[in-house]
Amino acid sequence: MSEVLSPWEPEVLARIHHLQLLARHVVEGVLHGAHKSRRLGPNVEFADYKEYSPGDPLRDLDWKVLARTDRLVVRRYEAETELACTLVLDASGDGGTGQSAVRGRLPPEGSKLSYGVALAATLAYFLHLHGEPVGLAILGGEGVEQPWIPPRGGRQHLAQLFAALARVQPGGRADIAQSVGRFASRVPRRGLVAFITDFMEESPSWLPALAGLSRRRADLVAFHLLDRRELSLDYDRPIVVFSPEGGAALPIDPGGDRHEFDRVVAEWLQEVRGAVLGHGGRHLPTWTDQPLETVLRRAIQGLL
Amino acid sequence: MTWTLLAPAALALGALALGPLLAHLARQKPTERLPYGAMMLVQRLVKRLRRRRRLRDALLMLLRLLAVVLVVLAVARPEVSWPGDVPEFGGTGRVILVIDDSMSMALRRFPGGQTLFGAARTEALELIEDLPEGAEVGLVRLGGEAEPLLTSLTGDRALLASELEGLEPGYGTTDLAGGLRTARALLEDQPGEVVVFTDQAGPGVVTGAAEEVARLVSRGSSIIPRVVEAADLGNLVVSGAAYGEGLEGGTVTVQVDNFGPADVEAPVTVTLPDGSEITAFVTAPAGESAQTQVTVPPEVPGGIGSARVHDDGLVLDDVRSFHLPRVGASRVLVVDGDPGSTPVRSEVYFLERALAPWGEVRGGVLPEIVAPAGLVTLDPEVHRVVYLANLSDPATWAADLVDFVRGGGGLVLSLGSNVTADRYNGSLHELLPARLRKARSLVAASAEGGVPLALPDFSDPLFRPFTRRGRSALEQVEVRIAWTLEPYQDTEDVHTLLRLEDGNPVLVERVVGRGRVLLWTSTVDLDWTNLPLQAAYLPLVQRITSWLGGEAGAASSRYEGRVFDTVQVAVPGGTGEPILTGPDAEEVSYTMKSGPERTVRFVPTRPGAYALAFEGASPFAMVAVNTDPVESDVRVHGELAQVEAEVAPELFLRKAELGLWALWLGLALLAAQAVMGRWLGRRIT
Repeated sequence: MSEVLSPWEPEVLARIHHLQLLARHVVEGVLHGAHKSRRLGPNVEFADYKEYSPGDPLRDLDWKVLARTDRLVVRRYEAETELACTLVLDASGDGGTGQSAVRGRLPPEGSKLSYGVALAATLAYFLHLHGEPVGLAILGGEGVEQPWIPPRGGRQHLAQLFAALARVQPGGRADIAQSVGRFASRVPRRGLVAFITDFMEESPSWLPALAGLSRRRADLVAFHLLDRRELSLDYDRPIVVFSPEGGAALPIDPGGDRHEFDRVVAEWLQEVRGAVLGHGGRHLPTWTDQPLETVLRRAIQGLL
Repeated sequence: MTWTLLAPAALALGALALGPLLAHLARQKPTERLPYGAMMLVQRLVKRLRRRRRLRDALLMLLRLLAVVLVVLAVARPEVSWPGDVPEFGGTGRVILVIDDSMSMALRRFPGGQTLFGAARTEALELIEDLPEGAEVGLVRLGGEAEPLLTSLTGDRALLASELEGLEPGYGTTDLAGGLRTARALLEDQPGEVVVFTDQAGPGVVTGAAEEVARLVSRGSSIIPRVVEAADLGNLVVSGAAYGEGLEGGTVTVQVDNFGPADVEAPVTVTLPDGSEITAFVTAPAGESAQTQVTVPPEVPGGIGSARVHDDGLVLDDVRSFHLPRVGASRVLVVDGDPGSTPVRSEVYFLERALAPWGEVRGGVLPEIVAPAGLVTLDPEVHRVVYLANLSDPATWAADLVDFVRGGGGLVLSLGSNVTADRYNGSLHELLPARLRKARSLVAASAEGGVPLALPDFSDPLFRPFTRRGRSALEQVEVRIAWTLEPYQDTEDVHTLLRLEDGNPVLVERVVGRGRVLLWTSTVDLDWTNLPLQAAYLPLVQRITSWLGGEAGAASSRYEGRVFDTVQVAVPGGTGEPILTGPDAEEVSYTMKSGPERTVRFVPTRPGAYALAFEGASPFAMVAVNTDPVESDVRVHGELAQVEAEVAPELFLRKAELGLWALWLGLALLAAQAVMGRWLGRRIT
């Protein structure tokens, strides 16, 4: 078991810094040229008109309508709802595997978890920019002092999130259903829950978690982390593979007929996708060799 | 089947078979370990492939093991031997073709198709064509009496083919033993191959040849049976046809044997000597016999008739000839030697009533009652039987009577008080069974009754009708006075039919020429016996008349014969050479055995009616010739190959060396496993 890193460790600080830079770089790259920010204007949206009545603020009078029709009408606005978002990061032992991840400066380098951490940081930063409260739940993992950080806004909170992400190490089992059960009741109703996981558990073990969140009317987005090398068995010689989460090791001959394995992978992807969609969520297959910008761009099409 | 190895030491190489096994067990496993995040998917794959993988691995290993074993076997040169159906053919270059041309070979393989003989001949011709250059061949036929078709072996195929082409199945039986004997003689007791084309039909045909098989085999020869069979094996044959008894004609009983596997109903047509036909139906169960009876008309001339069963199988045996006696009213000349003062007192009063109890309206006998002078009307062409009743002096007509009897007529002599021994003994000595001595009272004059009859031998044809009934009637007959006879011995021509209980003969028969004489030593009226008043009188008189006028008194002697069996016929007096005619009135050659009793001998080659006659005269002998019933049984009762196998099982062994086959098969398996391995691909787990 690896040691729990102190937030003031130079390595952790470096990672936090790296995450901040990475998130900012990615988010700005995505937002550049699209629009400045939806938060620059008043946080209100025009809804309809109503006849003026005494006591209504004069600034809401629509002077143009008065000039044209000689009628006193008041503009009415709808206040914009806050989108509390909970990032659920799978830091189980399996997350430490994979060698395809880009931006792999986080340990283990190239792993699914390093990619997931980067993605979580990016999402957090993006939501922070939009003034949305962001929370973090870490499933499994090692060095996790606070597996559940409720959604909040503010720079301080963002820094806390980054610090938590910087310290997380792969380990243990995700036990999605059990872990999610612990904080599901605290997830804001109608909030956004973004799963960042490889779903390497048999579906009966995580379907109840999705069902529970679905009952809370949460918007589910599943960033399904996929390592291309793992799923294509891109190895140059026979190897014995084993799961960091335990279990028997199995010899694999990458030169063998992969047809059947490809079918297993395809069926599994379909299974996961069906389960997520079945609970009203979005399933985003996220290959770890994809640029984070691409993933974020796909994600924000439905997020905001 | 027996397996042997010509190089068993090579089996040591079998250790190589451990190679694939060890390789299978010691497959190299990778050593590099790598953490892997998709183990769940790999486990799913393993679960899915587990069964297929086991099968594939086992199959591949099996193929490889088999391949190695086969290659090792190839080096060890395995040889397999197994018993064949027939011995190996084609070894010696000296071949005898024995072809069965017996009657059963005329059976068609299927309705309207080729005969068995035709098939056998075709096969024999093909075999001759296929024989290697230099092979010497002999030909033997089996039908009737086996004989060689060529006196020695020859390589002249054209000659062989021509001899075979000229052969057709006849009426002969299968002389298989003779055929093999002839083959052995042609081979001059040297080794050779005897190819037998036969249907193996008939009980005892094959088993009867076992000794010859053994002799041939012991001389290094082998017998190769080439069995020809009919698809629809079945045959109906008339196995018996005989005329039954009856005063007014009678019935012909026809027996039909069914040698087929199914019950058959078939029409049977009886053709009488006058050409008339009568048809009946017979239902013959499978493998059994059945009879049917045909009633013949009241008047039918004697001769040889035939019974034909209509059968699609073997046609040569469908007709059977049988003797038919003259059927119909017998014209009987009754000479009354003691007319008496009134009809009732006539010597023949009772005899006349017994001969024609219903008058002339219907009856089997037409009696003509005449005085002794009426004997002048005796006509051998008209009269069948003559009764001389108490005739005092027969000398005047003795010669006519002798000729009449010799020609086949029947004469009944009844005695009485008018008879004198000297006259009878003098004029009728050629006819009397024994010389007369004197009339003697058997009981006291005052005594009532007489000496009763002793019961006769009921197996005698004359008394056969009394077998079931009439015994008691005969027991009631008593004789008071009878003529005694000088001592005589029963011979082939003379035998005593009836005796009294005191031993005195009262009815004695003598065969003279083709006719018969019956001597009744008492009267036929009530003077000396109570016979006319007994219930036995009428049937006895009727039977005597029927017997002499019909069955026993035919115009010619009757003989039975079988195709290819020698028939001997006694020739009656005279010095002329008789003429023998066959079924189609063609003249048939014969040999004559001279001497005191001349005998004609001939071997009929066809079934049917044969007649022997002096030129210009009626036949004195008729011969009904029929086929051998053994030949009609077309079923196989024994297999030549089996007989031979019991004698020399080694001749039937087939051998094959499998080394090369094993090598090719092993290499093929190696290739197959390689292809299969490639086709199945390397397994991923």
